[in-house]
Formats: sequence, C-alpha cells, structure tokens
Amino acid sequence: MTLPQLQQPPAIEEYAAPRSLDEALDALADGAATCVAGGTDLWVQKDEPGRAVGKRLVNIKNVPELAGIEVKAGRIRLGALVTMTQVLEHKDLAKKVPLLRAAADKFASVQIRNAATVGGNIANASPAADFVIPLLCLDAEVSLASMKAGKVKTRTVPINEVFAGPGKTVIAPEELITGVEFAVPGKNFYGGFAKTGPRPALEIALVSLGFAAYVEGGTLRDVRLALGAVAPTPIRARKTEAALEGKSIDDALIDTAAEALDAEIAPIDDHRGSAWYRRRLARAYLMQELGHAASG
Amino acid sequence: MTKIIEKDTIIGKRVRKMDAPDKTTGRTRYVNDMVLPRMLYGKILRTDRVHAKILRIDTEKAKAVPGVHAVLTGADTPDFGIGVLKDNPPLKKDRVRCIRDEIAAVAAESEEACDEALRLITVEYEDLPTVFECEDALKDGAPVIHEERPDNIAMAQHFDHGDIEQGKAESDFIVEGDYNVHYVTHCNMGVSCAVADIDPDGRVTLYSQSQYPFIMKMDIAPSLGMHPGDVRIVQPPVGGAFGSKLDVYPYEPICVLLAKATRRPVKVIFSREEEFIASPTRQPVEFKIKAGMKKDGTLTFREVDTLLNNGGYTSWGATTPYVTMRTITSHYKVPHIHYSAKAVYTNNPFAGSFRGYGNVQATWAIETHMDKMAEIGGFNPIEFRLKNANEPDEITPQGSNLGCIDLVGCLNTAAEKSDFLAKWAKYKDGWDSPERYKRGIGIAASLHNAGGAKIHKSDGCGTIIKMDDYARITVITGASEIGQGIDTVIAQIMAEELGIPMRDVTIVANDTATGPWDVGVHASRTTYIAGKSAQRAAQKAKAQILDAAAKQSNVSADALDLRGGHVVQAEDGVAVMPLDRLLRQMHFAGEAAQLVIQSDYYEPPTESEDENHVGDMSAAYSNAVHVAEVIVDTFTGEVKVETVWSVQDVGRVINLTGLEGQIEGGIAMGLGYALSEDLKIEKGIVKNPFFRDYHLFTAPEMPRIDMTFIETMDSEGPAGAKGIAELPTIVIAPAVGNAVYNATGVRIDHPPVSPEKLARGLFEREQRMRQAAE
Amino acid sequence: MPLQVDVTFTLNGRTTRVGVPVGASALTILRERLDLAGAKLACGEGECGACTVIVDGQSLNSCLMPAVDLEGREVLTVEGLWTDAGIDPVQDAFIEHGAVQCGFCTPGMIMQIRYLLDRNPNMSEDEIRRGLEGNVCRCTGYKKIIDAVIAAGRTATA
Repeated sequence: MTLPQLQQPPAIEEYAAPRSLDEALDALADGAATCVAGGTDLWVQKDEPGRAVGKRLVNIKNVPELAGIEVKAGRIRLGALVTMTQVLEHKDLAKKVPLLRAAADKFASVQIRNAATVGGNIANASPAADFVIPLLCLDAEVSLASMKAGKVKTRTVPINEVFAGPGKTVIAPEELITGVEFAVPGKNFYGGFAKTGPRPALEIALVSLGFAAYVEGGTLRDVRLALGAVAPTPIRARKTEAALEGKSIDDALIDTAAEALDAEIAPIDDHRGSAWYRRRLARAYLMQELGHAASG
Repeated sequence: MTKIIEKDTIIGKRVRKMDAPDKTTGRTRYVNDMVLPRMLYGKILRTDRVHAKILRIDTEKAKAVPGVHAVLTGADTPDFGIGVLKDNPPLKKDRVRCIRDEIAAVAAESEEACDEALRLITVEYEDLPTVFECEDALKDGAPVIHEERPDNIAMAQHFDHGDIEQGKAESDFIVEGDYNVHYVTHCNMGVSCAVADIDPDGRVTLYSQSQYPFIMKMDIAPSLGMHPGDVRIVQPPVGGAFGSKLDVYPYEPICVLLAKATRRPVKVIFSREEEFIASPTRQPVEFKIKAGMKKDGTLTFREVDTLLNNGGYTSWGATTPYVTMRTITSHYKVPHIHYSAKAVYTNNPFAGSFRGYGNVQATWAIETHMDKMAEIGGFNPIEFRLKNANEPDEITPQGSNLGCIDLVGCLNTAAEKSDFLAKWAKYKDGWDSPERYKRGIGIAASLHNAGGAKIHKSDGCGTIIKMDDYARITVITGASEIGQGIDTVIAQIMAEELGIPMRDVTIVANDTATGPWDVGVHASRTTYIAGKSAQRAAQKAKAQILDAAAKQSNVSADALDLRGGHVVQAEDGVAVMPLDRLLRQMHFAGEAAQLVIQSDYYEPPTESEDENHVGDMSAAYSNAVHVAEVIVDTFTGEVKVETVWSVQDVGRVINLTGLEGQIEGGIAMGLGYALSEDLKIEKGIVKNPFFRDYHLFTAPEMPRIDMTFIETMDSEGPAGAKGIAELPTIVIAPAVGNAVYNATGVRIDHPPVSPEKLARGLFEREQRMRQAAE
Repeated sequence: MPLQVDVTFTLNGRTTRVGVPVGASALTILRERLDLAGAKLACGEGECGACTVIVDGQSLNSCLMPAVDLEGREVLTVEGLWTDAGIDPVQDAFIEHGAVQCGFCTPGMIMQIRYLLDRNPNMSEDEIRRGLEGNVCRCTGYKKIIDAVIAAGRTATA
C-alpha cells in the first residue's frame, strides 16, 4: 500500500503455478518472470516504481524439489522454500547450528516467519537481510537452476558472491534458487547473532552481526564475521577476521578487532540512524560476541 | 412466597465492554469496512512540493479514464477554508504550503481507476522560498506562508501572574532549560476514512470517524456550501481516534463534494502511508524555561516561553497552549509566573489534537525541569515535589479550583510502592561503573482537567432513555464511543440506577439525527459529563417509575427502590412487583398512557476563560504520578522499561476493567512518545511514513504495570468519578526520561530518548569524564 | 482488465471458488469478494498483524499472501471461530478480560492467538509476548490481551 500511484505498475499478463522443478524452470526460461513464494517482500514492493514484477508471475510454492531441510553426511541443505519457522522448529538444525536459529528468531514477526523463505531472503538482496548473515558465516553455497534448450542447468555460487548491490544479485532472470548448502560445523564451534532494536524482532536492522569461529582454549580459529546494513550488501569482514585469526580473546584483542572493523565498514547516514551510530553498534556487537565466545 | 432482593452495586466492578462480542467475532463493521450500493471510491492527488504557486492544473485526461465520474479541483469547490483559523481550503486553488496539500480529487468506480486518473493529472508549479523552523519563520524577510498573517504568527497567547522580577530576587537557585518536544502521530489502527451520501434535497449523510459530530456539522458546512442543518453525521464504529478526529480535515469535505458532484455515495479511505503523511500530528513545541527556588526548596517563579511549529495550516495543535498554560501555571504551587506561546506558520505538516493535548508536552518539560531543580537544590525527587505540591481546594493563578485532589497521596503512594528512594540513591551511584546494563528509576507527576474543559459555549451532553414493555432500555447519548468504553460506563450507570442487568441496556451513540447534543469526546470529559447526564436521566426515569409503583402498591415512592428487575421495598428488599409488568401497566393505562421516555441535558458547573485566561474551566481536576524503573544497555543506548508504578486519582472507579485498560493503553502510548515514536520531518518531508520505521510499542516491550487508584470521590462526578483517560499518556514519558538519567547520568532534554540519542549522550559523557580525568 | 484466475479452497470449512486478480492479496479477496471484513487492512505491509488469518495451520499476514496462492489451501478467518459449539475460548476470554477497546486489531490478534494456542496452550508470559510481536494494538497496552491468552490457554487444557 502506498500513496496513489503516480507511476503505472506493470500489468501481470501471465500466471503459472508449477508443480515440479522442470515446470518452474520452464516458466522462468524466457527471463520475463518474477517468482513469488512467501510474498513477504514481493507483495510490499510489487507496486513500487523500480521493483516491477515481470509480465509473468510464477508461484513456486508448490514445487516439491524446493522444499525441505536435509541433514546428511556432514552437510545441511535448506530448500529455497524453507520458512523461518521451519528453521526455528527443526530440532536437529537448532542443535547443530544454533546460529541459524538465533537469526531466524529475530526475523520480523511470527506471521512473517511463517511465510518468509530462505530463497526469498537471498533473492530480495536487502543490505539488511537477517538470514543472509548466518549463511555468510557458514560459507553457504547457493544452488541455482535454469532451463536452457530443454535441459536443466545447475550451478552453485558462494553466498558472499551472490549480492551485487541493494536489491541486486548475480542470479540470472531465468535462474531459480533451489536451496542453500553448508557443512555442519564441528566441535567447539561458536556462532552468535546480534541485531539492533529494543524489540526482539519486527525491526529492520540498523546493524546486524554474525560471528562464528572455532574456539579452543580461548583461541579463535576459522573466524567468520558477517554484517548487515553497513554496506550496500551484507558483507564478510575479512580484514577483521584476519586480525582475530589464531588469537586468544582478551581486552587488547577486542580493542584491536573493534578498530579493524571500524576501518573495514562503510555505513551510511539515513533516517533510521547515523553512520556514527551504526559504527558504535557494530563495535558493540563485536565486543559482545567476542565476550560470549570467550565465555563459551 | 416473599422474594427478597438485597441491595447490590455494579459500580467499581469488572464488567465486559458492551461491543466486545461483536468486535471479537469480526461482526463489527467499521467505517473502513462500509460499502453502500452504487458507491464510488474517491482519491486525492497530493502535492509533492512544500511551498509553491499552482500555475495550472490539467484534469482533461483524467476525466476521460473509463469508470471516472468526477474530477474536482479548487476551482470547482466553495472558497472556504476549514480548521481552527479557517485557513485550509480542502482543495488548494493557487498555492500549496506543505507536503500533504490536496490538489485534486477523483471519484471512480474502482480504486484502480482513481489511481489511473490521478496519474493523468498534470500540475504546473512555481516553487516558492521555504521555511521549516519557527525561529527562521519569525525573522524579517522570512517567506510568508499566509498573506493575511505577514508575521507568520498563527496564534499567540500569554499569561502573567505575580511579579517575575520579585520571584527572581527571592531565588537562591535559578535553573534554565530548553526542551524541544517532537512530532508523533496517532497511528489509529483504522486509517482515515469517510463515506458521503447525498440526497436529492441536497442533504448529506456523512459516515464519519468524527469525535465531535455535533460541532462538526457547523465546521464542515461552509466548505461544502451547505447549511449545517443539512449535514447529518453518522458514526459507525471506528478503529481508534485519540483526538485525531476533533477537527474537519480536507478529505472529509472532499468526500462530500465528490458525492455531490456524482450524486452517488463516495468513500475516501487512506493508505497507511497517506495516514502518516496527511493526518494530523501531536503539536511539537520548543520550550525555554527559567525557574527559581529557595534553599528550602520552595519554588519562587516559573518563566516559560514557547514556540509551536504550526506547519502550513491551523488545526487544534495551535490551541494546545490553552492546556499547556494550565500545567505551567497550576502544576505545583508557583507564586510568580510568565508564559507565552506563539504558533508559527512554516512549510511543515500541521498538528491536531492528540490524547493529552498540550499537557504531554508541558509535563515532559516541567517534570524534567523539576528533576534538574531537585538535584541542584540538593533534594531527592520526592521531597522536592512534595514541598511544592498542590493542595485540595487550592485556587490556582488561572482560577482553577483544584477541589478534591490528592497529589501528596499520589506522590507518597508511588514512592512507597516502588521503593523509590532506596533504589534512586543506589542507582545513581552506578553512573561510572563499567557495567553494560544499568538500572534507573524516575518519577513524574501531572495535573489535568478531569471534569470537562469549557472551550465551547456549552460543555454539556444530552441523554434520552426509553424503556419498553419488557424492561429493556435504550439509551441514546450524545457521547461518542471511540473504543474507550463510554458505552459500557453508561450501561453500568443505567443498570445501577434502574436495577436491571447491563445486558438489558442498548446504547445508541452514533447519529446526530437521533442523538442529543454533545461537545465531543475530548479532555477526559466523557465519563464525567455523559456519565452524569445518563445518571440524571436514569434518576428521572426511576422517579417516574417509583411514582407509578407507589400508586399501585400503596407504598410511598420514597420507600421503594428498583433492584434485580423488580420494584422492591427499599428497607427490606421485599419484591413488590416485576419491573416489566409495571412498565406494561404504565404503557397500557388507557388515556393516561405512561411510556417511560426521559431526557436530560447536563451542563457542568464550569467557566470559560476570560480574556486574561482566568476561569475555572473544568468541574474537577486530578493528578497522576508514575514511577518507571528502566534498564539501559549502555552499548546500544536501548532502554527497557521494566516496571511502571501508576498512581492516579480517579475520583471513583466505575468499570475497573475499562479503567485499567485506559491506563495500560495510555502508558503504552506515552512510552512510545518517550522512547520510540518519532515522526521524522526533514525540510517538510515525512521520512518514515511506515510502521517499520515508526515504532509503536509492541507486546514484548511492555513493562509490568502496578496500578493504584486513589478514590477522592468527586462531589459532582457520576458516582464520584473523575475523567481519567489522558493522564497516563501525559505523565509516563518524563518518568522514563528521569529514570534514564538516574541510570546513566545522561539527561535527554528532547524526546524521544531514542537509542541513538542516548548512545551519543553516553559517548559524550565518557569523553567528558576521560578529559576530566586527564 | 487485470489477469484473473479461479482459485478453489476451503474457507472456514466450506469449499469456495472465486476469481482473483493475479496481483491481489488474499486479504483483498476475503474482504471485497467474499464479504469477510473481520480481517482488517491497517498497513498492507505485514507490519501490524490486523489481517492475520490461519492458512494450512500457519498464521499469516493475509495482506502479503498472493490471492492466487489460496488454491487448494485451508483458510480460517475470525468469522470461522463462531461455530455450532459457540464462540471460541479466545473470543470469550477477550470479552471477559477487557482485551478489546476500539477492536480494530482484535480479529487479527485473536487469529494469531488461536494459532499460538494450537501449538502450545501453556505458553509462558514471555512466549505469549513474543508470539504477539507482529500484532500492533494502539489502545490496550497489550496487558489485557495477554491476560486473555493465559485464560484461554487454561480453558484449552482444563
């Protein structure tokens, strides 16, 4: 809902509700379609200028290949249609990757978590996308599929290479996100998620931060630090990670890491908050997560 | 067998809200849900400029859109403005002055056709110089917003009492402070909406969310070129109002004008974004305060100058100084007072009335300032307030007779229940500790009218009651039900007086064609005045019934009573006859038919202010004191309000459940004002017209609330009750601000205490401490 | 004319077929085509919860649900809670505990609570508050709503 539209929203000319992946990919093949699943982003944005829906609307909700959470052989696959609620309620997942649960728990509201999907959160490419942050920490790979000359083509893209700018990805118009995959973290893995707001949820992040590492005897290994809303896309803070790698957590390290992070991010001023405040939050969350990691 | 019916009371009990069964089952149809046969939709083209001349409006293409029935501009409509100063023409002809301004309106068979037509209207402008700050608008050579007021001052008030210079001379401490209170808006869950229906005789029925239907007839008629008598206001249920519907706003005459132009019913309904941009705000105010005290803590003078950013047009926001003034002059005993207010035109959006009208702003400033003064004078916040507390029957400088107030009792109760002093002393010792999370506790008090507010020639309300052959009662009240529960209070009073179950009472409160006059639902007046009128009407009916019963029973009317649906002997409760049988006998008594139809019009014993702003304008006054205990996250600046202790003089509890609900809801609204709600307006543009960026309090954020009601038993109010609905919103915000200070040593003078503002305050304090240490 | 498709679904226990414009929300169809005005349009962006309905056992903001996706689903709205067995315990608790003022948020609030109680009738107060984080009420301050949830949960487990 917006003010009376001063720009004509494009008309949807065709509708498809495929029942299989092949059908879905066929419906997307000419690059003139827009997918809808949960609708929680698309239905808000569809009438806004510049977020036009393609001439064909493809409802992918009934494509069985996109559903389900699989945990096997040390890897986890989340189908593109997996909702935030399914992430929250999956017992194995919550146990094996508490970081995912933490991010899903702070995602919008119950009603939105019941609808919003893993694939949608990636495809929408918001700089503040909550669920992308833990996926960045887990080095997840995004599976894409498309139909070319009657044949299904697939490829995987590391999640940190998916985003090209606010609302922009490297995913081609004819491609469909089928799921994300990542390795189950091993022993001594710490993962935490922090996000702004006195509200537990229903809050667009001023800053969101995911921190993960193996912590053994106070020493950090394989550090992953991801942030939302401090750059045009969700980012991994590689330099800060490097500053932390192999180090033991103490006050001096926390200070060093905070300085490194401050140098690495480029938040903006907007009506939601100033760059100064976003920097303060990023620093505060990093300190908080290092503190949590240190205390196990 | 003799039937005995004991005397019982329903006053002060928990009763269910009359309309709750329909509202919980989705049966209630709000204005927003209304559909009339042949109804068209109306939409408004708004300007995207903040100040510009309109050179040309071209509507030809819009008129050609299939399904479009009318396209109107200012050229087609009566040349008469609406609002307090009648400075706001519903459709702007030659000039726009703020972002929301209405340029053209379309009626069409679908919302889509309206949208298409609006897209095809072209407007040519010549931009004019803009001004957004009061101070700039008052400068020589500033852009003039309305030619009739070349100084840009829409309204001004001042009040002086005693001798400020003497007050200054007697002061041991003088404390100065600036408090700039911000823009917030009502966020009614039901967005603005109206449906207009014209008849061939040129009369209009307007289905409206109005809170003041009887005066609205008069206010809207000139902008329609109609006689007020030809305007009928019907009030279907509304999704909240909170003061936002106490004036006529442009969409309402536009809706009627579209209906007139098309001879069909027309519905205008806002989107949420439009609601944020084009409905009134709370009045922002810049306070400059200087106040003095003696060493013993006695207040010596209070000097307050204020500027109000009036925006492009004048609605009730500009008149908030009338209420602000009462707080400045009357809250605590202050011998010497100066107050001034100027409402200054700018190119910002404009303010209307909003729950706590003028006093939310005043209480933030006064109670924050009182806390500062207490600290400077070396007093704790309780003793300083007690030292200067108003007393019962005190006559204030503006002539308010405070009557049966109990500020001292409210302060002491709040302090005791919250263990205030011990916590306050402990928490302020933690300012320099390295802990991330810090606790604080703060207190604030306020004074508000609780027996109406005489701002119109009458502050009255009428009631008509009709009893049928089955002892069912229909009560037609002038009062407006906007969710607050006057339907239930009136039913309770009827049930109490007439000895019948509440279920047998039907309340009708929705139509100027059937209802008796009422000034409107505002100023915490409705329980007091509509309740009193209902009580008086019921007492008249009761007297008539008991007279009839006396004739039949040979027991004198004085010795009879109504209980449990029966006429009973007052002394022993012995049932004399069932009420319904008596009513049928009264009805079918042949030539002397005695249907019970009674009415009452109650005018409270109040005075209008004179030209010096003196007059006892409310029949009762009341205090509330809130204590808030907070936890501050010093990393992020986020404030969690953990507990609120609310102590309020309510006169007497009528519906305990409804009263608690008003206080809890008022606190939620006031907490939003204190912490999270902030309508961000930059260069006249609303930057956050969405719930995602305008944070209303949600369930997880709400504190625990401990409520105490002090019953002072007002001698005039119905059953002793006073009005209660605004104080909770008024008093909580400064209690939170004071608690944040107690936790951190950081004082946020300009609300809201947003996480960023507090984080910056904490950062600056750290810097200062570091520098001091070096 | 915008493209329309027919959808067939179960609405409050009855099979319903209706033509829907492809860009429409489920809320618009419920309110404007099926005359179920209980679910409210208050923001249209999933930020307030006034439009909450239960679809295949999940509470959703119907303003964000594409109407075309109603096909084959089972939808429960506030109107469906008043059955031969009387009104729902949540509705009853709302009436008795004063959880209603203006009532505009009430149908959405009740549907969200119905969903929460179906999953767990013994929620802690914190769980209730979190469960209602997507439902805004401007009148009540939520306290009486929370009281009503606790009471309705007790009815369910009694």
